[in-house]
Amino acid sequence: MKIIVLIKQVPDTAQLSANMNGLQLMASGPRIINPWDEYAIEEGLKLREAHGGSVTLLCLGTPDAVETLKRGLAMGADEAVLISDPQLAGGDSLATARALAAAIEKIGAYDLVIAGRSSIDGGNFATAVQVAALLAAAQLSYVAAIKAIDPAAKTITVERLMEAGRETVSSKLPAVMTVVKEINEPRYPSFMQIRKAAKKDVPVWSVADLGLDAGQVGAAGSQVKWSQIDLPPTREAQVEILEGTAEESAKALVDRLLAEKII
Amino acid sequence: MLSLVEKILFVIAVGVSLYYTQVTFSKMITVVQRGQGQLNLDHLPPRLWTALRALVNQGGIIRHRPVTSLFHYFIAWGFIYYVLVNAVDVLEAFIPGFHIPGMLGNLYRLLADLLTVAVLIGMTYFLVRRFLVNSAVLTIRDNVTLHPKAAAGMRTDSLLVGGFIWGHVGFRFLGTAFLVALHGGDPWQPFASLLAAPLDGLPETAQLIGWHTSWWLAIGLILAFVPYFPYTKHAHLFVGPFNFMTRPPRRALGALDPINFEDESIEQFGATTLTDLSQTQLVDPFACIMCSRCQEVCPAYTTGKPLSPSALEINKRYHIWDQMAALAGGEADESPLLEWAISPSAVWACTTCGACLDVCPVGNKPMFDIMDIRRSQVLMASEFPAELKGAFTGLERNGNPWQMTDDRLAWTKPLDFAVPTVEENPDFEVLFWVGCAGAFDPGAQEIARATATVLHAAGVNFAVLGNDETCTGDTARRAGNEYLFYEMALGNIETLNAVGADQKKIVASCPHCLHTIGTEYADYGGHYTVLHHTQLISELIGAGRLKLNGSNQLEKVAFHDPCYLGRHNGVYDAPRLTLAQAGATLLEMDRNRSDSFCCGAGGAQMWKEEEHGSAAVNETRFAEGRATGADVLAVGCPFCARMMTDANTNAGSPMVVQDVAQLVAAALQK
Ligand SMILES: Cc1cc2nc3c(=O)[nH]c(=O)nc-3n(C[C@H](O)[C@H](O)[C@H](O)COP(=O)(O)OP(=O)(O)OC[C@H]3O[C@@H](n4cnc5c(N)ncnc54)[C@H](O)[C@@H]3O)c2cc1C
Ligand code: SF4
Ligand code: SF4
Repeated sequence: MKIIVLIKQVPDTAQLSANMNGLQLMASGPRIINPWDEYAIEEGLKLREAHGGSVTLLCLGTPDAVETLKRGLAMGADEAVLISDPQLAGGDSLATARALAAAIEKIGAYDLVIAGRSSIDGGNFATAVQVAALLAAAQLSYVAAIKAIDPAAKTITVERLMEAGRETVSSKLPAVMTVVKEINEPRYPSFMQIRKAAKKDVPVWSVADLGLDAGQVGAAGSQVKWSQIDLPPTREAQVEILEGTAEESAKALVDRLLAEKII
Repeated sequence: MLSLVEKILFVIAVGVSLYYTQVTFSKMITVVQRGQGQLNLDHLPPRLWTALRALVNQGGIIRHRPVTSLFHYFIAWGFIYYVLVNAVDVLEAFIPGFHIPGMLGNLYRLLADLLTVAVLIGMTYFLVRRFLVNSAVLTIRDNVTLHPKAAAGMRTDSLLVGGFIWGHVGFRFLGTAFLVALHGGDPWQPFASLLAAPLDGLPETAQLIGWHTSWWLAIGLILAFVPYFPYTKHAHLFVGPFNFMTRPPRRALGALDPINFEDESIEQFGATTLTDLSQTQLVDPFACIMCSRCQEVCPAYTTGKPLSPSALEINKRYHIWDQMAALAGGEADESPLLEWAISPSAVWACTTCGACLDVCPVGNKPMFDIMDIRRSQVLMASEFPAELKGAFTGLERNGNPWQMTDDRLAWTKPLDFAVPTVEENPDFEVLFWVGCAGAFDPGAQEIARATATVLHAAGVNFAVLGNDETCTGDTARRAGNEYLFYEMALGNIETLNAVGADQKKIVASCPHCLHTIGTEYADYGGHYTVLHHTQLISELIGAGRLKLNGSNQLEKVAFHDPCYLGRHNGVYDAPRLTLAQAGATLLEMDRNRSDSFCCGAGGAQMWKEEEHGSAAVNETRFAEGRATGADVLAVGCPFCARMMTDANTNAGSPMVVQDVAQLVAAALQK
């Protein structure tokens, strides 16, 4: 199976409280792999372990996003490609999807594209869906489990996690799939793999390499513009510690949750 | 005197024995050399002294199992003396008229006589204990991985060694009795004389035949047994002292060895198979006497987990015996340790308390094997309890295992004085290393506040690193993630040196921080003087810098020694002194000081679920504290505080768990 995993480098939003405003954080601050994308990589690796083939990571981002790709390589992916070009700056999800789709076509002959449910910064929940549309591939979002996959017959059956419950869907391959955290437990890279990944070359593709025009990507190719980014207002929380033995405090907790109509 | 034929036979027997001894001993040495690194043989005179001490005091066995240890001293000292006895016996048999003359000879014979009986009594005690009483401390629970040949092998081995000692010493005793009978009595050999009494009436030829036969059996047993030494636990007799002698020097009991991550040629990290262990760790199974003293003190084993440090050493020994020729021949040993030496759950049950290292009479290091296996599991295989991933990610991204992103100075807010950072007070004399627990754990924040309050009250010129502080990496290191530890250590050393902490004193209220910064950073070029807060506080009280409230007398207090303060770093008195200075009446738990029993949090256990067993380590320890009848269980570590507080809550007991600093802060004159 040829699997392509879309991963995004994002600011570590958990570090938001450390005296930073939103735009600063977007521009600087510590970077991590988009947490959902770790699940996408893990699922790709598991499919490769079960059915053979390869896992290629694809990321659109600034040159330092290569670190994020290395992390994914250390988890066990075979190859990685970075799409990076100053012309890509300020792109919305559709412009980004255009570049990603072009890169996927350039890689070619894929069976499955796996992406995260959403990013923790942009949070559009849209990029992978738009990639599917541009590729004219089947689109499977919010996948919580792969029920069956037959690479020879080119079919896949998945379980999608909806707000109201789970839905089982079958489709043809190639497909573009986004995953939720329920799907697996991402592995922690070993030092041996980190060292191996550090030595791997990561090719960088420009807009021209993808055969796209500057007007199709980045701010120029986008409908959406970001004028300002604010942190969510901090909410005052009250902490109360329920005293007593485990049984007593559990009972008190249940009573309180019932009283507050939470359960 | 031996006849000429006997003398010739003896010389041939010695030759044959020496030949086979050389064959089996070189096999043993070659097997040990299959391990990594080298045995330490530098600074030979002090090392020999260490070996001699271990030989004479028997690795300090008397601290535990006093009765058994006493009988063991009988055998051991008797055996050491028997080196001389055997030499004299051979000389007497070879050289006409040879004997040690005068009073010296009398004393020599008296001592030989007494020790002979002592050895026989001692050995009888051990055989009865193992075979008739079937002492429970010598059995290994069946949830522990044990080599298929070990259970039966341990008994056979014991019988063989017991039989050999009884045979050798017993026949020597009989032979001496025949000699005494021949010479018509010897007041300097009272026991041999007793045995000689019934032999007195025998004709002289019978007595002579009796002596010859006994002499040959006594000496012959030695000649026959010596080549076999590497295949029995009796080898502990000399491998034990040798093990103490050739151990690497350590700054603290359980200070781990660094890994060179810059060397790209290294392909193996930690231990996957037997030969990945260091040479000194391969001496261990040859030294092991299978006494299971380590198992008896292991908090994991005694609370029902599948970990027994003695089983680990015993498994190594039987594995080696099985493969001795192959290993000595240089063949690769591919079988993973996790399949035959120890189970994964056992590897992750270790709290790194160091009790096994401290107690082992032959200098074995099971904890280091376990740490090496953790290293290979994390660095090579990436297989470890899932909960630890959260701690690792927290350390990588947030610099603390709680994955907290809060302000590291939040704990200072409730204080009515300002706690200066190093920027605010660059001329500090003491750097207060708060630690992740002090910064983020609500209980430990109280301890940090109490420590700061006491330092403030004593007018100590101190500062904290604030948000420049990150975890020392202790959790990562004990969990086998040496690479993460390495990166954190380098980062912290840079921070500490930048503020000049290497020129000043560091005080820590967390023994894990104390251990890591104070003893382990030295391998990475960070040399610091780190004090436990109780050491500094007792100094301050001693110097009259703290006014304590005499009327607010503390009640009965029992102190729980934290593993990384006590056993690992040897600090036992400072917390007790501080408590006494603060007006406490001290009570001791049954297991205290170097015998202290772990709280259950160490070795990264804090960050994972306890392995499955029959009891929780913290509750076991808390019950012991409660049994003292003390009102307060005093602790000196934020993790002990957490474990003991949880156990206290679960037990619904009226006891109070508090850090020594909290007790002192409460006793301060307002
Ligand atoms: C203020 C701002 C500035 C920006 N500046 C730049 C810039 O300088 N350079 C630049 O390259 N982009 C830039 N972008 C584009 C942006 O980072 C996203 O790539 C794009 O908006 C995708 O939307 P999303 O993050 O909401 O993803 P979602 O639609 O929520 O993400 C779903 C999934 O799609 C995949 N995915 C999303 N984005 C990418 C990606 N970039 N690469 C690979 N996989 C991806 C991931 O698997 C992800 O889990 C900027 C966006 C903003 C808001
Ligand atoms: S390792 Fe040491 S303490 Fe443990 S059984 Fe062997 S000799 Fe005894
Ligand atoms: S270090 Fe402690 S927990 Fe680990 S094996 Fe030794 S005694 Fe047991």
